[in-house]
Amino acid sequence: MASNEILDLDVAALAEHLRAKKISPVEVTQVYLDRIARVDEKIHSYITVTSGDALAAAKKAEGEITAGNWRGTFHGVPVGLKDLLYTKGVLTTAGSKILADFRPDFDATAWARLKAQGAVMLGKLNLHEFAYGITSSNPHWGVCRNPYGLDRIPGGSSGGSAAAIVARTAPATIGTDTGGSIRIPASLCGCVGLKPTWSRVSRYGVVPLAYTMDHVGPITRTVRDAALMLNVIAGHDPNDSTSSREAVPDYTATLNAGVRGMRIGVIRELTDGLSDDVAKSFKAAMKQLTDLGASVDEVSIPTLATANVINSIATFTEALDYHEEWMRTRPDDYGTDVRRLLESGMAITGVAYVRAQRARAKVLADALAAMEKHDVLAAPGSAISAPKIGEGRLVGDGEPRVDVVDKILRFTAPFDCTGQPALAIPTGLGGDGLPLSMQIIGRPFDEPSVLRVSSAYEEARGALPPPSI
Amino acid sequence: MAQLTGETVKKIAREVFDYKITDHDAHSVANTDGAMLTLVRHLGALPLSGIGPAFSYANLNAEAAHLNARKA
Repeated sequence: MASNEILDLDVAALAEHLRAKKISPVEVTQVYLDRIARVDEKIHSYITVTSGDALAAAKKAEGEITAGNWRGTFHGVPVGLKDLLYTKGVLTTAGSKILADFRPDFDATAWARLKAQGAVMLGKLNLHEFAYGITSSNPHWGVCRNPYGLDRIPGGSSGGSAAAIVARTAPATIGTDTGGSIRIPASLCGCVGLKPTWSRVSRYGVVPLAYTMDHVGPITRTVRDAALMLNVIAGHDPNDSTSSREAVPDYTATLNAGVRGMRIGVIRELTDGLSDDVAKSFKAAMKQLTDLGASVDEVSIPTLATANVINSIATFTEALDYHEEWMRTRPDDYGTDVRRLLESGMAITGVAYVRAQRARAKVLADALAAMEKHDVLAAPGSAISAPKIGEGRLVGDGEPRVDVVDKILRFTAPFDCTGQPALAIPTGLGGDGLPLSMQIIGRPFDEPSVLRVSSAYEEARGALPPPSI
Repeated sequence: MAQLTGETVKKIAREVFDYKITDHDAHSVANTDGAMLTLVRHLGALPLSGIGPAFSYANLNAEAAHLNARKA
């Protein structure tokens, strides 16, 4: 099979070919390593490429599969990991100077579960420093770029994870999401990003941003691939006391069930301030779902804007708890924007923090009330396509030209606050040639409905034109 | 609006966190946090009577068990 044909395969197809021994894990891994060598200097999706370890793992997988010991979907499949997931013996920087030499002595649970199935790690992916920001313009490890426009941000904080999917430098990746860090890059780069229900995937061995808002989830080419990865990484972990004991279903089971009879509520509070392209594309996506047999109408979540305040207060406070000692001893080792955000935690009072945490219940209550007669909710992934690098800076010289809170974060952060599952999926390319997207949001632990609606839409939408890098 | 000034932020940073913040940053943080603290006051208008923060006792127990397991 030719290299470009291998790169065209999503995880589901790769797994079939590997299991049937039509291609070998070594061949697939080498094709991806060659692709990284060829294009990654343009986009900086990787911080570390683990070529030697990857080929060794691929060789082991090849031996096992050849001997008839196929372990599951990810056996022999290469993956990339956001560089804040602990990987035993492998550099884990969190995109920072502070952890520039950090090599953990254990694996994050999400990675350990993929590894146990025989997945092959290609390397560690670029991100916004300490996951605290949405540009992935990393001052220490290189500015990550959007494959659809090299002068554009890929979004963040999991920018490398999404850029790698679209640039085909990895077939599947893992990201994390505290205010939108899986869905924002998926939206701006044009791939699928699933933030599962809070507690669905263990956070053990993940450098935290905000303990009560952090989520771990897949970034993939297709909805099916996201479901396949969630099948492996979801579930209770004794090492993460907050991880849920809720049973893990087969997330692929209802992917082909269609949407006939399903009820979709468009969140009114997230339909204003959209660019013309986003508004048109979102409307077309809703029409497509209606044509497929779903009913679509509007719902309201009156406290939705409150969720952004709650998310900020919790993140300011909890992030500073993790970083306080380094802020005192190594302040100059932080990038300007991250340092400013950490400073913002210093004057937030304990009362403010507790009240914000108490108010989360009200926002979730309102979101669930809005879903009383609906199976899922829908909203744009962001109000705009990817801003130019430097346009959306939170701090620096002069004012940002793009208000990233109003145009991007207010669409995603509410569902980190409520902990509901939310999936970002591309809805096409805008007039500027950049990806546009929507989110499908579900009830807690109802990832199956989110995936089912997203899958039906994805099939009707068809493939996006790939970027020309 | 919470009346938070750059001077107050500088003082908190220095006296509470042993951290030296620039005038420019202190002013910026005062604006951000002042707005946040004001918005949090508005959260008090929500019907939160009897609603506690969602930190569970099961979680507390599990974390305690982790700490003891680390000792052993």
